[in-house]
Amino acid sequence: MRSVSAEVVVTGLGVLGAFGAGRRALLEGLRAGVPRLREVDRGAGFHRPGGARLAALADLSELGNLVPAALSRRMSPPARMAVAAMQLALRDAGLPEGTDHTSTGIVTGTAFGPAWVTEQLLRQILGQGPEQASPALFTESVASASAAQMAMMIRARGPNQTLTQREASDLLALGEAARWIRDGKAGRVLVGIVEESIPILHALLDRFQALARADRFGPERARPFDRHRNGFTAAEGAVVVVLESAAVAEARGAQPICRLLAHGAAFDPSASAHGWGNGAPPLARALRRFLDRNGVTPAGIDLIVSGASGSRLGDRLEALTLSAAWESRPLPPVVAPKGTTGEYGGGFLAAGLLAAAGERPGVTAGFGAVDPELGLAPWTGGELSPPRLTLLTALASGGAAAWTLVARPDRA
Amino acid sequence: MTAGEHRAGRTAGEAIAITGLGAVSGYGAGTAALWKGLASGTSAIGPFSRFEHARFRTQFASEAGEPAATAGPARSSIADRFALAAAREALAQAGLPSQLDDLSCGIYFGSSTGGMFESESYFADLLGEPRRASRIGRLTAQQTCSPGETVARAHGVRGPVQTVASACASATLAMGNALAALRAGDIDVAIAGGSDSLCRLTYAGFNSLRAVDPKACRPFRAEREGMSIGEGAAVLVLESAASASARGARVLGWLVGAGASCDAHHMTAPDPQGAGIARAVEAALADASLSADDIDFVNVHGTGTPHNDAAEANMLRAVFGERLSTLPLTSSKGAIGHYLGAAGAIEAVATMLCFLHGAVHPTPGEGAVDPAMNLDLVIGRPRPVPGARFALSTNLAFGGTNAAIILGSGQT
Repeated sequence: MRSVSAEVVVTGLGVLGAFGAGRRALLEGLRAGVPRLREVDRGAGFHRPGGARLAALADLSELGNLVPAALSRRMSPPARMAVAAMQLALRDAGLPEGTDHTSTGIVTGTAFGPAWVTEQLLRQILGQGPEQASPALFTESVASASAAQMAMMIRARGPNQTLTQREASDLLALGEAARWIRDGKAGRVLVGIVEESIPILHALLDRFQALARADRFGPERARPFDRHRNGFTAAEGAVVVVLESAAVAEARGAQPICRLLAHGAAFDPSASAHGWGNGAPPLARALRRFLDRNGVTPAGIDLIVSGASGSRLGDRLEALTLSAAWESRPLPPVVAPKGTTGEYGGGFLAAGLLAAAGERPGVTAGFGAVDPELGLAPWTGGELSPPRLTLLTALASGGAAAWTLVARPDRA
Repeated sequence: MTAGEHRAGRTAGEAIAITGLGAVSGYGAGTAALWKGLASGTSAIGPFSRFEHARFRTQFASEAGEPAATAGPARSSIADRFALAAAREALAQAGLPSQLDDLSCGIYFGSSTGGMFESESYFADLLGEPRRASRIGRLTAQQTCSPGETVARAHGVRGPVQTVASACASATLAMGNALAALRAGDIDVAIAGGSDSLCRLTYAGFNSLRAVDPKACRPFRAEREGMSIGEGAAVLVLESAASASARGARVLGWLVGAGASCDAHHMTAPDPQGAGIARAVEAALADASLSADDIDFVNVHGTGTPHNDAAEANMLRAVFGERLSTLPLTSSKGAIGHYLGAAGAIEAVATMLCFLHGAVHPTPGEGAVDPAMNLDLVIGRPRPVPGARFALSTNLAFGGTNAAIILGSGQT
């Protein structure tokens, strides 16, 4: 029998990325406001001269302490990161090893899936011949490999699925997971957002002119909402969020980090297959319908955590959508953590949940000057009361859009 | 209790109306061709020409060709065009307009490789020795979410768009997500389905696992040796009963329940006892407020691999008990092969066609049914099932992901 509309709370957060392991490391990185970028290996010759060189590559120094080598060697790189982030998240949630996860569900979200494994497999099949295809690589090449490895590690036998919708994968995965809890299909769900950045993927994104490059306005880095933004910074890492029904969390004495109130999604059919749309007015109407349906007015939102990444057209769509939804009235403070974390959904999601929980966010790294067309100035520091209600917003190239409303655990 | 009475007297989840069906299969374009082929008892699996495959271990597949009327946007993949063709047919049958921007409509798709077939040509140039110049535009439709997004753009969809990438359970899970969104009132109409095309990566990958039968697959036969890979797409138009009624749409059938689970057992092998898929089936039955006794026939995953079919037989025995020996059972994969991420969608459409034609389609395949399984596999010709009300359809995937849906007859 379904138990409809159980309240959903976040009770744990595991973070692995360029800033290292743990949510404290991410928070310190966000507050420092400086992306931790490294040179991408260009030795394979995939890159073109003058192109992007940097990415927010994950610091995996803690990986060996989180995933036993005997298991790690059988996993794709994103699966390794996801399992490691899961271990951190379970510890953060106060769920010790040996916890019964028989009914725990898992939802993962990814834009590109296991890129390195897929590259190696294609090298074998297309270069050496199909008979050289490795079964071990093929098994790990599916987008759902991370979700499967997470499940096997802790014997999670609840529902298990993987969503892929580019930059909106994160909030869509979070929304489906929350629905499972609200519908009584699982009492606990682990949401894993995982991405890897490898040289060939970095080079291809650069060929699509998606990545930030050095120019006369500054070094190579993402500049969300800035008038001189020219692309995003590729990034990798894994974030796992522990969701539970409030009743389950309370029964075991867990302290919620924040509460998930509602999830919405829309699509902009004006987008091309490889780019951004220009449908801000209809997206704004969809956002307003989402808020209305949940009894929230724009004035009731205290903080917006935006998925703006430094993309010229993507940030434009985000800013114009927000402006139209707020009917040109002043926006609440806006932060865009991808200026620091780079473009991967996990960093954005973790930063958003932490900000919604009352942790002081970092300023939008890379922002320097307001784009006159957008008229959006992100929060630049100073006084900021802990938000009662936070809107997370993730627009995606290709047309998808997703939103989440998050409240502090103590909101009346 | 009829499906209609079940809908009216529901105690768990609301049943959702199915008002349109569309398919592209190895039998050609359209659901009429699909049923004609399925009812014939002959297999659509055989030699294929999608790509050069002389060096592959096996030589058979089920190729769908390219329907003439499915020209998609520039740079769309074969999987995109399959999806468009299936969606157009389903929308026309549902009596919906081609442009859906005035409707509260979402897209819930499953796919495993999206536009990988087209991308392989690019990667063959980029990864080959010597490296050759290649046009980046060939990657435009690579992403797994491309078929669903292509349908959304073509039909002006403005509601949620999401793609499940959970390997062979993708489309079934996507239909479950659509069911939940419709029940929650997030949308009035859902275009649910899946699309995948043949490609070298999956063909070589499954061959590397020795999971492909050198002949056409033989589900549940004693001498089965593996699956046959297929390609195609299928779409179901799902809508709330209120929406269908308000439009005066003909209700073809009902989606009454969905369930999912994870084996957490092995990356490729199912739990040999079928306990994981049994949990998914039990969850689907509970979601539909039905018991196993209410199920009148089953369209099983039935890949033809020794392990899958044995595990499914064990599941069926556990769920249906003594009824199993007289419960009509079919596997669409015996006729059209395994559509991977789209398998659940084409099998749901096939199941609906069984209701509409009052008969369960046969499962082609050489040899005798495995006597150890004691199954009532429909073979040779369609088996009339007058008055059938509910059918179960199951899918299993890499990583132990299991999904089940329950469909109801529209004959109330």
